[in-house]
Amino acid sequence: MAKSHPDPHSLLPLTPAVFSILLALAGSEKHGYAIMKEAALPEGGGVSMGPGTLYGSLDRMMRSGLVEETGVTDNERRRYYRITRFGAEVFSAEAARLGRMMGAVRRKAVLEGVRS
Amino acid sequence: MNAPHPVMMWLYRGALVLYPTRLRREYRLQMLQTLCDAYQDRPAGTLRFWLHAYGDLLQSSFMERCFMLRDLILRRPLVFHTFALAVILTLLGGAASVTMQQMLRRGANEPQIDMADYYAGEIGSGEEPGNVIPPGYVDAERSLQPFVIFYDDQGKPGPGTGYLDQVLPTPPDGVFDVVRKQGGENVTWQPRPGVRLASVIRRVHGRKLGFILAARSLRLVEQQEGLLWRIAVAGWIIVMVLLIGGASLLSRAQRVQRV
Repeated sequence: MAKSHPDPHSLLPLTPAVFSILLALAGSEKHGYAIMKEAALPEGGGVSMGPGTLYGSLDRMMRSGLVEETGVTDNERRRYYRITRFGAEVFSAEAARLGRMMGAVRRKAVLEGVRS
Repeated sequence: MNAPHPVMMWLYRGALVLYPTRLRREYRLQMLQTLCDAYQDRPAGTLRFWLHAYGDLLQSSFMERCFMLRDLILRRPLVFHTFALAVILTLLGGAASVTMQQMLRRGANEPQIDMADYYAGEIGSGEEPGNVIPPGYVDAERSLQPFVIFYDDQGKPGPGTGYLDQVLPTPPDGVFDVVRKQGGENVTWQPRPGVRLASVIRRVHGRKLGFILAARSLRLVEQQEGLLWRIAVAGWIIVMVLLIGGASLLSRAQRVQRV
């Protein structure tokens, strides 16, 4: 029987760490350090997290059904994670929310004569 | 190969004890591997790297424990509600007991307040202390009767009606200094271990400067306070047993309903 998930919008807004992890995993499956490294990049959200934050977030995300382990690993110390279908829906919903917000920011910046 | 110093890794492994047990069991090896990977690839200096690693471990340990507590509350709301109700009832019971204890203690200053004001007024209007204070003998240790003592401006007692070992007792000089400044003071005075007196002291102005003290033993009041605390503790235990028992029955009923 398929596991039922809540409405993706009920999980919004996501924390910066969770959004950056989903962003990192949106491209391909990755192990912990690869996620951490990509999240720290400016285009990855610039979220500088350590192992404590990373694995705590991954654990909660797995329990919420946003990500899962691939089960493929050649080393117990380096497991791989991927985004789930539900995780992708939540990621899209959050990206759309942020997109709408950025649109409003740009409009206000134009109204007030502010150049970004 | 640029591996972290073994001592630093040993310390970090030890510090992982701060991390919640379930997460530590599940992710310990991965966390250590990720830390090694990050160390080899570190853009900043070594000190900065370790400061960040430990800061992150401390912060995430605290946050993860908060998340776990929140999950526990959401999973078992009955436990949380029972605990909250127990705290509220304990605080209410404690406040009621303290209020009653204060009322008992303040009530112990009656009729000394009236006595002290009356005698201070009479002596202040020019009467001789010996003419105003009636003759009498109250054993301050054994009797529950109030008594009164006049002290001259140097704190020397006489005349008076309250005796301890057949001598008029004298409060510490500090009490007279305070009364000189404030005009009066209500204090619990312990002239000797086991003898505690609810004392009211007033400054006497007029032809004869001095102080008037009216006091009585707190023995009965302290017995009542002891009884009050025993009743409060017994009541608290009964309420907690009923509360926990009720919560257990409700929890069992909910489980049966689910089955």
